[in-house]
Amino acid sequence: MDPGGASRRSSRSAETWRGHIIQQLKHRDRIQSAMFRDLIRFYTGLLEKTSLTKGFLSGSGRPPAESCARSSLQQLKKTTGELAYKVWELQQQITVKECDLQELQTRLQKEGGRLAEASEAKRALRDEVEQVRQKNKTLKAAYDALLQRQREAESKLREEKEKEERVLEDMMHQKKQAAARMNHRNERRSRARQATVQKQLQTAARSKVIVDSSPSTPTSRSTSPKPEDQDKSGGRGATRLFRSASASSPRFFSSIREMFDRKRRGHSVRSLEEDLPFPVGICLSARVPVRPLQVLEAHEQGINAVRFSFGSDLLATGGTDRVIKLWDVRAGSLTHRATLDGSTEGITCVEFDHTGRRILAASHNKSALLWRLDDSVPKVTLTGHSRKVTAARFTCVPHQVVTGSTDRTVRLWDLNRAACVQQGEVASFCSDLVCSDSRIISGHFDCKIRVWDSRTVSCVQELPSQGRVTSLDLSSDRRQLLSCCRDDCLQLLDLRWTNDRMCFRADGFKCGGDSTKAVISPDGCYLAAGSADGAVYIWNVSTGGLEARLPDQHSSSITAVSWSLSGEHFVSVDRSRRAVLWSDI
Amino acid sequence: MADDKDVLRDVWFGRIPTCFTLNPDEVTEREAEAYYLLLPRVSYLPVVTDKVKKHFLKVMRPEDVEEMWFEYEGTPLKWHYPIGVLFDLHASNTVLPWNITVHFKNFPDQDLLHCPSNSIVEAHFMSSIKEADSLKHKSQVVNDMQKKDHKQLWMGLQNDKFDQFWAMNRKLMEYPTEDGGFRYIPFRIYQTLSDRPFIQKLFRPVSPDCNAHTLGDLLKEMYPDALTNDGEQKRYQVLIHGIEPLLETPLQWLSEHLSHPDNFLHICVVPVPTD
Repeated sequence: MDPGGASRRSSRSAETWRGHIIQQLKHRDRIQSAMFRDLIRFYTGLLEKTSLTKGFLSGSGRPPAESCARSSLQQLKKTTGELAYKVWELQQQITVKECDLQELQTRLQKEGGRLAEASEAKRALRDEVEQVRQKNKTLKAAYDALLQRQREAESKLREEKEKEERVLEDMMHQKKQAAARMNHRNERRSRARQATVQKQLQTAARSKVIVDSSPSTPTSRSTSPKPEDQDKSGGRGATRLFRSASASSPRFFSSIREMFDRKRRGHSVRSLEEDLPFPVGICLSARVPVRPLQVLEAHEQGINAVRFSFGSDLLATGGTDRVIKLWDVRAGSLTHRATLDGSTEGITCVEFDHTGRRILAASHNKSALLWRLDDSVPKVTLTGHSRKVTAARFTCVPHQVVTGSTDRTVRLWDLNRAACVQQGEVASFCSDLVCSDSRIISGHFDCKIRVWDSRTVSCVQELPSQGRVTSLDLSSDRRQLLSCCRDDCLQLLDLRWTNDRMCFRADGFKCGGDSTKAVISPDGCYLAAGSADGAVYIWNVSTGGLEARLPDQHSSSITAVSWSLSGEHFVSVDRSRRAVLWSDI
Repeated sequence: MADDKDVLRDVWFGRIPTCFTLNPDEVTEREAEAYYLLLPRVSYLPVVTDKVKKHFLKVMRPEDVEEMWFEYEGTPLKWHYPIGVLFDLHASNTVLPWNITVHFKNFPDQDLLHCPSNSIVEAHFMSSIKEADSLKHKSQVVNDMQKKDHKQLWMGLQNDKFDQFWAMNRKLMEYPTEDGGFRYIPFRIYQTLSDRPFIQKLFRPVSPDCNAHTLGDLLKEMYPDALTNDGEQKRYQVLIHGIEPLLETPLQWLSEHLSHPDNFLHICVVPVPTD
């Protein structure tokens, strides 16, 4: 109910008449109804009670029934009214609730729509997830396979590494052992050397010394021990001179002079005696050996080479047992003097140098070794050949060595540097070598003898031979070349007129092996060689026929023979370790 | 506004304490006692006097009972007026309770209408409402309402249900805002001494120059004697629902809030008591 009327709202009198009316109404009610309300209520209550009791007392049914019916009618009417009102109210509520319901339904629809969308999205995402999972699985499988392979490879690597380590360890261990052995041997030797040197010093300090006027040309080789040290490498030579020179002053001056001389010559520092060219003795006549003076088992195994020294008092034998034994030749017997070891395989060839102080040997272990007579340890080892060295010789140039080997090379070595200076290639195995001044002559398996220029190591000449050359030997005057061939013939060649040849044969003479050695007698009249039947055959050069045959001393084939430079002694060695000293006395 | 609601409630629940006494001329078996009752102002006598009738019928013989009618100090009370109007008109300044005499015989046919049942009262009530609405809204609102709504109005009144009644009645109190009020105000002015029963004329709530008419304007127009001129003594009381509203009270508001359930504004003009 809209009050309307702008005047009402604005004027102050609006409140006045309204308030007046309200006040009036309240006043009226107070006077007219409030006072009587309770009274009339109680009155009607009492009246009803009395009427009821009256009704009970009177016992008449009609008035109460009537009144009951009337009252019930009234009641029904009231209830109808009330119910109608309630109906209206409920209808209002229903409309309101229907509105709400409508709203809720629209919202529900919206939510339903959103839910559908969300579930769609979820399905799509699930599919994606599945795909990705699949990919992951395949990747993982591939990765696993790769991992497995890698592990296997790693384990293999580890095994290999372990094997490598073990192999390395073994090798090192062995090397250590070898080194220890070497060290031990060296120590022993050095100690022995020191002891001998001490002894020598003592004896030298006590003994008298023969002094030469010119120390550069000694006529005979003195066998007494030298007053100076010959020990160790040459670097200490000068100091030692000073030390020992306190014994006698003239010697002292000569030593200093020699030192300066040597310096002028431009050689490296070495022991004096080694540098001096040693004149070789000349044999006037050789004597044909007739009977054995001594037979002995010289080595543990077969003997391959034998050589007298230039002074005819030392004999060197070398064999398969890897050592060189030095023998003193005195009064018709051989006495063992020293053993030189240090070669790791058998010795094929032995040679003394001019001074007789050094021994050069060629060995199976592809190297040539050089000893000083007082050392049992090789001073120099010349390695470089690829196969066994069959021959090693001193050249006429000092400190130079030439070796021939089955590796088809001939090498020239410098002893000071222990290095190969030059090398000559040949088509065939070299079995033996000899050196004359500025010339090297080698014999080969291809039945050729080659002459080399020692400076350029180039083949100058090729000489044919009867068969495979097993050994060569030069006569003392360097004119005759003796070659022993595998087809049991000896050939003597004149070096100047190479067409002049003589061939020597004999019944029963058979060349025992590929390295059987034959020699010319020191006076050049006789040839000697050992045969496979164990007999020594000696030919006369001038007659060309067999001079003598010396059987029954050897049981196996003779490998090498040697005539002493004095012509008195002859030694033959064989495969069964036997060495026989012959003479004609 | 909350005050308006209180006004409506106070108007609806207005009560008059009444004492009903049987006419001594009536033949009774026993002596009839007086019956006291609080009568609602807004209702009609036949609707609320069932208990009275029941009470007095207990002492009477059935063959003596005819249609009940009421009388106050010799004046038969018209049942088709609201009870409040009757009281204000006849006994407004008397000592309470209101003494009414109950008659069962000698119905005054010239003065009163017969009322055999409540449906007559209902018909009268509904016709009043329609008449009022025809003045207010050219009968549009009441015709839009359904039968059950009319029934609800009557039931609300009969059973004294304020909410039930006003749920429907407020529709009848609405008006389009641009008009500023009803088309015409339904009112009746009752006078104590007059040959006319009441004054009812067409009267607009809002003046042509958009001023709201007041009660004073209405009285000036319809019954100028009721108004007190300056300098004069007050001769008449203008009562609505037993109270005297100020003359500057807007008529539209009065029609909305102080109308009787039949949507009429019943105004009683009584002379001022001289004592």
